[in-house]
Amino acid sequence: MSQLELTRVPLVKRILVSRWLPWAFIAITLPVFLLAILTGFFGTPAGSRNFGIIFVWIVWWGLLILWMLPFAGRLWCAICPIPAPGEWLQRRALIQPRAGGKLYTLGWKWPRRLNHIWLQNASFLAVALFSVVILTTPFISALVLTLFAITALGTSLLFERRIFCRYLCPVGGFIGLYAQLAPVQVRVKDRVICATHKDKTCYLGSDAGYGCPWLVFPAALAKNTYCGMCTECFKTCPLDNIALSARPLGADLLTNAGRRLDEAYKAFIMLTCALVYSVVLIGPWSVLKETAYAVGTAGWWVYAIIFLAANLALVPGIFYVCAALAQKLARVTPPMRTRRVFIEYAYTLVPLGLAAWAAFSVSFVPINLSYAWQVLSDPFGWGWDLFGTANWHWTPYLAGAQAFLQIPILLAGLVGAIAIAFRTAREQHASPPTALPIIAFCVAYTLVMVGLYV
Amino acid sequence: MRNELFAMIVVILILVAFPVSLFAYQAWRTSARDARVIELIANVPNKGGWSPDTLRVNVGERVRLRISSPDVVHGFAIPALGIQVDEILPGHVAEIEFTATRADRIPFACTRWCSVDHWRMRGIIEVIDPAHPQPLPPTVVPPLYQQLGVDIDAPHSAQNVPLQKPSAARGALLNLMIADDLRVKSPSKVFAALRGDPALVTYRDDELWDAIAFAWKQNAGAEALARGQKLYARDCAACHGETGKGDGPAGRNLPGLGAMGHGLKPGPADFTDASHMLGASDVLLQGKILRGGMGTGMPEWRTLYTDDEMWAVVSYLRSFVFEYR
Repeated sequence: MSQLELTRVPLVKRILVSRWLPWAFIAITLPVFLLAILTGFFGTPAGSRNFGIIFVWIVWWGLLILWMLPFAGRLWCAICPIPAPGEWLQRRALIQPRAGGKLYTLGWKWPRRLNHIWLQNASFLAVALFSVVILTTPFISALVLTLFAITALGTSLLFERRIFCRYLCPVGGFIGLYAQLAPVQVRVKDRVICATHKDKTCYLGSDAGYGCPWLVFPAALAKNTYCGMCTECFKTCPLDNIALSARPLGADLLTNAGRRLDEAYKAFIMLTCALVYSVVLIGPWSVLKETAYAVGTAGWWVYAIIFLAANLALVPGIFYVCAALAQKLARVTPPMRTRRVFIEYAYTLVPLGLAAWAAFSVSFVPINLSYAWQVLSDPFGWGWDLFGTANWHWTPYLAGAQAFLQIPILLAGLVGAIAIAFRTAREQHASPPTALPIIAFCVAYTLVMVGLYV
Repeated sequence: MRNELFAMIVVILILVAFPVSLFAYQAWRTSARDARVIELIANVPNKGGWSPDTLRVNVGERVRLRISSPDVVHGFAIPALGIQVDEILPGHVAEIEFTATRADRIPFACTRWCSVDHWRMRGIIEVIDPAHPQPLPPTVVPPLYQQLGVDIDAPHSAQNVPLQKPSAARGALLNLMIADDLRVKSPSKVFAALRGDPALVTYRDDELWDAIAFAWKQNAGAEALARGQKLYARDCAACHGETGKGDGPAGRNLPGLGAMGHGLKPGPADFTDASHMLGASDVLLQGKILRGGMGTGMPEWRTLYTDDEMWAVVSYLRSFVFEYR
């Protein structure tokens, strides 16, 4: 697989090993995050005039889905302010490393039986279930962000390293899933060097820095899913054996190795949520949106049951049938278990899911982006006009042009999904056409999404 | 170590100085040496309406109201002080200032159809004289219909109705002078008086009606009609309908006239119904507007309208049965 090692550029290398990274970026994102919480609690309840709603759910979300995830993988995790205070307390330092990379925490080990992303799947579903309220109600939105920050802080004080990011963060789960598509990666240059390096400073820490906060041994990294791109290993590797490289899109999906049910379910949840949101939030059926908003009513309970059933049973169930059909067509010897076939094919949904989220985001991010100018000048809706933009009129950017972006995005996702499906079949020693039931699923999903947006 | 110190200072600035500066800036912006600042929140009535809905200010005190809306577009008016804010957009702040010059109870209200219960969105400014700090009880001046003993809840069907809509323009050509007091007599009664006048036997019924339409238009004046039209569009059309037929969307679920008995059809009054309108005097119509309809859903407007505004609306209501163009 062709790669371009970016760390060969001296400036890039120098930046990555600098201890000012990622602090310098967090020093920018932290006040924005803080302002989002303060405006949520103390600002106007009118979402379109509240900095917290506009900058989190329009600006940040747009940047994350439309730029960071497809092109920079887990870059957001590197500069996310949520775990920063906890990490600083763990280290009792902001920039400088402690001797031996020592952490000041109770150092509890995360239970081995929770060493998966099911909790992230659950936390994402919990947020997703209430998302109509969270996305439109500044106070609730601030409450959720504060809950994230407190949980991150608490886990940092009790557990080792970044337990919140690795196992609990509702956002981190899908960022990791879609980071497999990113055209950048952090990997060791030569695993033999790591094998002979006894100190394993990249994992254990050293005077130069801390052990991998994400509990990853870089030499074992085969995909981007759990690398937070925090750059700590660049600083702690004394052998200059860590590289940041550019690579083809979706390179992590070329092998079936390491595919897991929890990650597969993350793909289903993301795919299903993109469809449900497109129907409920963007579709012409206002009664659905009102029902999703009316938390606690009988209608909302019906919505909740349908939402959870669609995410956890219906869509995975349909896909399971497709996987079973693909297995029957393949007739591989020795036969694979249907469960295994189901899990491995689920990764075809990674490009499809990201495309669905990108298409969904295109339907509301440009339309609402101009509110950003207003809330920059008046973040609380208190009548400020800091930069003279408080009374700029709402201007729907790309109005009428969304479908021209959404359809190519969805088709690109479908092409990626088909390519991964064929690849997955080959990896299973089956002929590519046996993936047709999976491809049919992907085509049907794409057609439904296109139908919603055209 | 210097790097660490620098980073520490930056983080402290972010976590402490930044939030403190935001609130300090707001406190500085909203402080005023020359005025008392009151934050007034405009919620739709089913979420609480004005908050607070009673403002206590002192006579001679300069007051700055900072009005904001968390939900939908509202309007704001203090009719007695001539203050009007056309729109309060969600998330925006509208500021107005006033000084009350005497102890009083001054109503204020939303002037935008913010919800079906919009008319309930009212509040009171209690202006206190520091020398007599008890708030004044509401002043009670009997309205004209009470002074004249008019029963505004009694049936008032017209004895005579024209076959076609009377035209003020045609009436103007007749040069007929009508001496009756047009506020206290219904058009139907005026017609009966004219019809019984032997000097007018040569006039046809429709001509007399045209003359009555002209007389009512003249009595109202163009300015009052224009003002009444504006007020009607703002405050009445949502229930009574743009064309006065009683078919406005906000009136669909109101009991309306059905609650008054007399076999009237439910819903807001139909101002195009000649038998209903021509049997009502202006005083009676004014009484209904200022008092409101008991149990019908019709709000009272006495606290919000000046006398002139009330008469302007009454004058405009006549345009639904008289052709004024």
